Amino acid sequence: MKSNLKTTSCAAGIVLALSACVSSTPERPSSQNNAAAPQQGGSSEQIVLALSNSEFDDGFDPTLGWGRYGSPLFQSTLLRRNSKLEFENDLATSYIVSDDGKVWTVTIRADAKFSDGIPVTAEDVAFTFNQAGESGGKTDVTVLQEAIATSPTTVELRLKQPQSTFINRLVTLGIVPKHAYSAEYGRNPIGSGPYKLVQWDEGQQLIAEVNPDYYGTVPQIKRLVFLLVEEDAAFAAAKAGQAQVASVPQTLAVQSIDSMKLYDVKSVDNRGIMFPYVPNTGKTTPDGAAIGNDVTADLAIRQAINYGIDRKALVDGILEGYGSPAYGPVTGLPWEQKEADIEDGQIDRAKQILAEGGWGDKNGDGIVEKNGQPAEFTVLYPASDSIRQALALSVAEQIKPIGIRANVEGKSWDEIEPLMHSNVVLFGWGSQDPTEVYNLYHSKSAQGDFNNAGYYADSKIDSVLDLAMGAPNQEEAIAFWKAAQWNGQTGFTTKGDAAWAWLVNLDHTYFVNTCLNIGTPQIEPHGHGWPITANISEWKWTCN
Amino acid sequence: MQLGIAAFMLRKLLRLALLLIAVAIFSFVLISLSPIDPIDAYVGADMLQISPEQRDIIAQRWGLDQPMMTRFILWLRQLASGNLGTSIIFNQPVSTVIGSRFQTSLQMLAIAWLISGALGLAMGVVAGARAGSWLDRAIRFYAYTLAASPTFWVALLLLLVFSVSLKITPICCATPPGVLTRDVTVWQRLHHLILPAATLSLIGVANIALHTRQKLIEVLNSDYVLFARAQGESLVGIIRHHGLRNIILPALTLQFASLSELFGGSVLAEQVFSYPGLGKATVEAALRSDVPLLVGIVFFSALFVYTGNLIADLTYQIVDPRIRIGKSS
Repeated sequence: MKSNLKTTSCAAGIVLALSACVSSTPERPSSQNNAAAPQQGGSSEQIVLALSNSEFDDGFDPTLGWGRYGSPLFQSTLLRRNSKLEFENDLATSYIVSDDGKVWTVTIRADAKFSDGIPVTAEDVAFTFNQAGESGGKTDVTVLQEAIATSPTTVELRLKQPQSTFINRLVTLGIVPKHAYSAEYGRNPIGSGPYKLVQWDEGQQLIAEVNPDYYGTVPQIKRLVFLLVEEDAAFAAAKAGQAQVASVPQTLAVQSIDSMKLYDVKSVDNRGIMFPYVPNTGKTTPDGAAIGNDVTADLAIRQAINYGIDRKALVDGILEGYGSPAYGPVTGLPWEQKEADIEDGQIDRAKQILAEGGWGDKNGDGIVEKNGQPAEFTVLYPASDSIRQALALSVAEQIKPIGIRANVEGKSWDEIEPLMHSNVVLFGWGSQDPTEVYNLYHSKSAQGDFNNAGYYADSKIDSVLDLAMGAPNQEEAIAFWKAAQWNGQTGFTTKGDAAWAWLVNLDHTYFVNTCLNIGTPQIEPHGHGWPITANISEWKWTCN
Repeated sequence: MQLGIAAFMLRKLLRLALLLIAVAIFSFVLISLSPIDPIDAYVGADMLQISPEQRDIIAQRWGLDQPMMTRFILWLRQLASGNLGTSIIFNQPVSTVIGSRFQTSLQMLAIAWLISGALGLAMGVVAGARAGSWLDRAIRFYAYTLAASPTFWVALLLLLVFSVSLKITPICCATPPGVLTRDVTVWQRLHHLILPAATLSLIGVANIALHTRQKLIEVLNSDYVLFARAQGESLVGIIRHHGLRNIILPALTLQFASLSELFGGSVLAEQVFSYPGLGKATVEAALRSDVPLLVGIVFFSALFVYTGNLIADLTYQIVDPRIRIGKSS
């Protein structure tokens, strides 16, 4: 059944791409479009968004993870990120972190109301955080000891230990009403956000209308309709004039659509190849999967690959230019270490690194070897992802001239999982929360799952990451996050341990109606689609 | 006679119970052994932001921290009290999910079923009556081609022609975007289910048409038809008085047996047309390892198909007096 489905979706892709080609020839008279789409076309009364997502199959309950990125729409959060990813007050008016970093005292505004008319109090905030700790969803507040309302507008969030990344929970966790919370809350979200839920046809569409009681600036666009369709259907909907915002894959972004403008939004939706860091000594994960790879455990191999790859060529050739080179996992974020960037595409430098590391081609087969071990390994990628396939194949091609042979194999994730600790894997991550950096590189994170799958371990990096995580606030943590990447002597990026070869960051491509002003989008995380809504309450319809 | 039917039903119910128990065990065990980790599938790309502690909380919420046997027994106990559990991906009782999704699918399935039955029978009769003619060849060609075509391929072709090129049918969904449920007209609903229903009917006719044709040819070559012809009966008369009664039985059997194919076909057709019915929910449940929902759907579909076959069994005795239950014994 699974294979059937894959065929289906691929075939659907082909057909719709074809249709795209067909209809990019002279535009049809609009009357024909209207036949299929009565009363379409955006206005400040209503816009239709086709964002190809499944973010809310389980409803709109922030304690289960709704609103992790993008806008929570129906709820509001204590803080929010602006377009430069700086924190701003939203429901909160101020917050202080105690010197030991364990108590976050947040004061909230007194004039906020839930959409049922009842005021938002510190009691609701405390309830939300405590509930998130119990719900067992996609938001992680396990560091929270308890949340207590100390006055109607003050709440104390007491942590088990300091955690600089906890501020991300203040940004992502929408406040739910204590009085109206139940197991069914996710389907009847009552909140203090800019919009109210009108109707949710599961698997089809979501309709939201402006919340007139919203304490902030009431959005100009009165009604939002989200079509819950796949990327190809999103493109078709935009093409037919039915959607005013559509997220499309990079491959379709080269098309043009009448009266729509392409937004090509920077993201940390990165792709990179993960190297098993340790040699294979027969050790296994708790599930019995082999750990380590004798070839990639050699620093010279990892560095040579990093220098040998031409990332710009990958961006232009595979992503149609909709992307940027990645030298680390956090490109463009405030904690990116710019000094970790390298000049790549240097075949000679790569060869030199290999030679200095003791690798040489003695038998003349074009592949270097060391102590009789040829520089050869397997690169795994999820077979359903055509971009990763192209990246893996291109990288293999690019490193062939330096004498390294990479055998590229596509598999399903469940086949990759047992192999990913002993083979090179083409992964993609990317988050606005630096917790991800910790889990990618801390030796303690390596537990036989996706966290630090390569069993990277460097005690110096571990201690810097611990300092970053334990810092009382993000500003202080940033220095440590940067140092972990590269501090002049050590780091997990190329000049240091070169634990990964990061390749590219994808741009997220959206078609947006020329009448719609969506402001400045943030640098987006891994998800393509919903994150564009982060500032949706500020969107303006500029035509009449 | 009354006693006969009661005994018949009792036997059928007993078999149903056994079937459902077998289905429950097999599907539960198979899905539990699936290599897809339900927590990974649930968390998705945010995996690296979820600590092991949070994973434990998620596992507890779904009872995944228990061994499979314990989970199975707990599940059976729940089932006995009529509770199918809670869907992981929809965070809603499984019965609610199945109920609402099936309602959406039902209209489509019903239309496809009726059309394919009626059309298939008609085509089969025409082909059988004119066996060897160009009309027969055309119908057979159509039936063989369609019987060999994958559902999703036919669905894509229809989508390409009618939605993308001609723009006379919608591209997706069961209702027009942005329209509140209470404002959706019957015509709009029909408009949205034309293509998925057409896909299933186009394919569904093949089987019935071919079988009906074969049976009719058999009938037309029989002695009693020869006798009727000798008496001067016309072809139409022969089909009406001798043919239909004989071919209706296999046609009915096939028609009810096709419920399972229809159900399977709807999984693919709904996927192509983004039609939010039970078929689409099945795909999501399977790909994201939502054990309670998938087992619930398997259970439901077993019941659905079994009921179809049971109805077929019961209609035999109305159609054909020779196999009236309880009469012979």
